[in-house]
Amino acid sequence: MDAVRIQEKDFSIEAEVDALRTSSKRIGGVATFLGCARDFSEGRDVSAICFEQYAGMAVQAMQALRSEALERFDIIDARIIHRVTTVHAGEQIVLIAVGAEHRGPAFDACRWIIDELKLSVPIWKKETTPNGDSWVTQHP
Amino acid sequence: MSVRVLFFGQIAEQHGRREIEVVVGGELTLAALLASLNIDSEGLFLLAVNQQQVDDLSIEIGDGDEVAIMPPFSGG
Repeated sequence: MDAVRIQEKDFSIEAEVDALRTSSKRIGGVATFLGCARDFSEGRDVSAICFEQYAGMAVQAMQALRSEALERFDIIDARIIHRVTTVHAGEQIVLIAVGAEHRGPAFDACRWIIDELKLSVPIWKKETTPNGDSWVTQHP
Repeated sequence: MSVRVLFFGQIAEQHGRREIEVVVGGELTLAALLASLNIDSEGLFLLAVNQQQVDDLSIEIGDGDEVAIMPPFSGG
């Protein structure tokens, strides 16, 4: 499995962490961020979230993020998986997993990647609410 | 000269289309392309040319280029 992917289907956290952990015996710690769908946003119930991407550019931007993280932080490997489909409350959306010799850089890089992903990767979400569909424009 | 213009998210919905082919006489700037599409360059959107995000509206657009007009990203 590629370390950076955009896919419709769900992913396995265990499989991704295993792939990361076994990529190097120098890894002493793995930090993960799992983004999932909430049933409430901006004061409204949300029944589903539909994702759209700029195919090609989005995965390239995620690959660039991984490369930059490997340069900026003292980490060994990183995986970034983002789903682009319609998800419902509680379902998985995005996974960042970072392996490093020590926990500090792993946590720092994991936080940096998800923050930067929201700013630099051309993916958009539209929430389905009781009042209709609504595009999300914020980066909370 | 032909330029492919892509719209995403709410911008695609507002324009009622996801993609158009623009035929122009010769090379033109990104600002001129937006103006020809009646898109306010002061609008709240992001731009990419050939899948690279750009800020400079004075760059030249050439034959076969792909221009994307995108709302602020909201993945994650």
